[in-house]
Amino acid sequence: MATTTSTPAASGAIERLQSRSEGQWAVVFRRFRRHRLAMASLAILIIIFGASILAPWIAPFPRDEIGLNRTRLPPMSADPVTGQLHILGTDHLGRDFFTRVIYAARVSLMVAISVTTLVAIIGSILGLLSGFFGGWVDNTISRIMEFVATIPDLPILLILSAIMIQNADLIVLPSWIIGPVAWIMAVPNREATQVALLILVLASLGWVGVARLMRGMVLQVREMQYIESARALGGSSAWILFKHVFPNAFPPLIVAFTLGLNGALVSEVAISFLGFGVQDPTPTWGNMMGFATSYMFNHPWMPLIPGLPIFLCSLAFNFIGDGLRDALDPRLKL
Amino acid sequence: MTTYLVRRLIQMVIVTILSAMLGYSLLYLAPGGPLLFLQQIQNTGQRRVTEEDIARLKARYELDLYLPIRFTRWLAGFPAGPIQIGGVNLIPPDTVVGCAIPGQVRLRYPDGTVEIREEGCVRAVTLADLAERRTSRGILFGDFGLSQQISRDRPISDLLMSRLPYTIQLMGVSTLLAILIGVPIGIYSAVRQYSRFDYAMTGITFVGSSLPTLFMGVMAILVFSVLAKDAGLPYLPSGGAQGIRNYEIPWIGTVQAGSALDRTLRFIMPCAVLTFFNIASWSRFIRSSMLEVLRQDYVRTARAKGVRERAVIMKHALRNALIPFVTLLAGVLPTLVAGAAVTESVFNWPGMGRLLVDALSNSDYTVAMAILFISTVLVLIGYLISDILYTVVDPRIRLT
Repeated sequence: MATTTSTPAASGAIERLQSRSEGQWAVVFRRFRRHRLAMASLAILIIIFGASILAPWIAPFPRDEIGLNRTRLPPMSADPVTGQLHILGTDHLGRDFFTRVIYAARVSLMVAISVTTLVAIIGSILGLLSGFFGGWVDNTISRIMEFVATIPDLPILLILSAIMIQNADLIVLPSWIIGPVAWIMAVPNREATQVALLILVLASLGWVGVARLMRGMVLQVREMQYIESARALGGSSAWILFKHVFPNAFPPLIVAFTLGLNGALVSEVAISFLGFGVQDPTPTWGNMMGFATSYMFNHPWMPLIPGLPIFLCSLAFNFIGDGLRDALDPRLKL
Repeated sequence: MTTYLVRRLIQMVIVTILSAMLGYSLLYLAPGGPLLFLQQIQNTGQRRVTEEDIARLKARYELDLYLPIRFTRWLAGFPAGPIQIGGVNLIPPDTVVGCAIPGQVRLRYPDGTVEIREEGCVRAVTLADLAERRTSRGILFGDFGLSQQISRDRPISDLLMSRLPYTIQLMGVSTLLAILIGVPIGIYSAVRQYSRFDYAMTGITFVGSSLPTLFMGVMAILVFSVLAKDAGLPYLPSGGAQGIRNYEIPWIGTVQAGSALDRTLRFIMPCAVLTFFNIASWSRFIRSSMLEVLRQDYVRTARAKGVRERAVIMKHALRNALIPFVTLLAGVLPTLVAGAAVTESVFNWPGMGRLLVDALSNSDYTVAMAILFISTVLVLIGYLISDILYTVVDPRIRLT
């Protein structure tokens, strides 16, 4: 909790006075800004995210350029032949680590974002429908959620992605999936298939949490008087659902989204590390970690290079989630 | 209570069969497997693979049976041969249940092209033929069939049993340690809310629960094995549950491979990483549950009566704070057996999680399915136990 110069009671009063003139989101942002760790996390994420977006322009070397005379160079060392600088050194095939880390950021972060977005969309739709309509809709969706929740996460994730990835050549995905994925991740089309498959696998199992959250929120909001008055004024179900119920259930969804980003990132890293995710020429932090660990006994800096971004992003998502939770909770006086 | 239990057990059986069907359909859809291996032999041209070879291999892995029959045999070991009651056949024993060698039809099109299409059946498999085969007792009864790749033709249950002790050791000790350390931390943080101790612990547990175990594991190896060894300090050996050859550790001396000391040293790091990760979740859970209880009226009443603070916390507050704890305990059961795939892989620990990873990288899907099935059943049993325990610790709750 951030400290303020005035007493808590006084700042609370000031806040109540101010919030009449400013919008809801301005209040949230002002409260969020007080969470210093969350702001620092946001800054770090913006830097890493920016680097990943600009990867094709700021990368000093081609992504897959192998150099067998310059393998496993330590950070800040020069190429023995051309004399070019490798800021973070090179990997076991002599590929530039800095280049690969920022391309990997693109894949790892974009996988996390796409998975969480898909999960949020599927989860909210199912949760809203289930909570709002009740009856057989609620029954069916709840039974499916219970069933998916019983299956242990990691084993089923590993099995699904292993089966998918090992047979990625046999699976043909439509070009309207492959095209955008390849463009967003900055990878060639043939590498995009496995990334897309991994996204689908992660999203297909992750929606239960969001759906449960939304269902609970809707059940709570549904009983409120303003919903009753909206209905009395003749609002249709769809109108009430999207105009009144969804905005009220939105804040916890944002927090779940941020924390979900961490979950998806960690899952992708773990699966790729174990060898069932995105395969080698396409870099991700997970598969880079997998290679780096096998050389760590003689080259102890190698696992740090993909490891630190994982560490930073994972902490950052959690801090931001924490900050947002505080900022969005109107009962909490900051 | 009895009706509740009966209803729950029926539900559990239904969910188990559903998840088995899901698992089996994944298994069935997965390409690869033994026939691919035969095709590779054919492609290298070492040996001509005859129809008989294919039929034999298909029979061995039951690929020649119709899918529903194959599924029931996999699930419950039924039918194991002609279906009889008291020596009388219920269904004629020559009922066709599969096809050993498919018939080939040559289609000649008017434009001269020829297509060979599989149609009909040259040699069918009947119920009577099944009696001659090895029939598994079915996964519902603990028979998971044979491993196809990892250890060729050994029963999967043997494979699981050889890994199980390692996983139970690792998960059991780390969970126990986490509870023993995490619960007191949680209680103390709640009692002294917003104290320096609380802030420090909240910070540490926040970091502990948000860091991936993969990162913590690799960093532990880096610091305590690699860097400590390079610096000439005593270090912890990493990888595996026991060493292959003897090694020297400064200050301690020679460590015999496979000795109790060797095993202990190798156990410390994976156990510590999992413990740290679990402490975070246990202590946060107990802290919030304790804070909730401390606000209750009966705690204030106890204080007002003049009960000593220690007794208020231990007797009045803690006992009630531990009620939701039961739900967490139920979640421990499946992890105790299924293990932690990532941590076990990082430390090369030969447990169940590692077995799952090995099975998947060798396309040995039957082993993977067995692990998935066992952990699903354990999750269900865990739910049931936690519901029953709830009525024990909280008499207000009645199951109906």
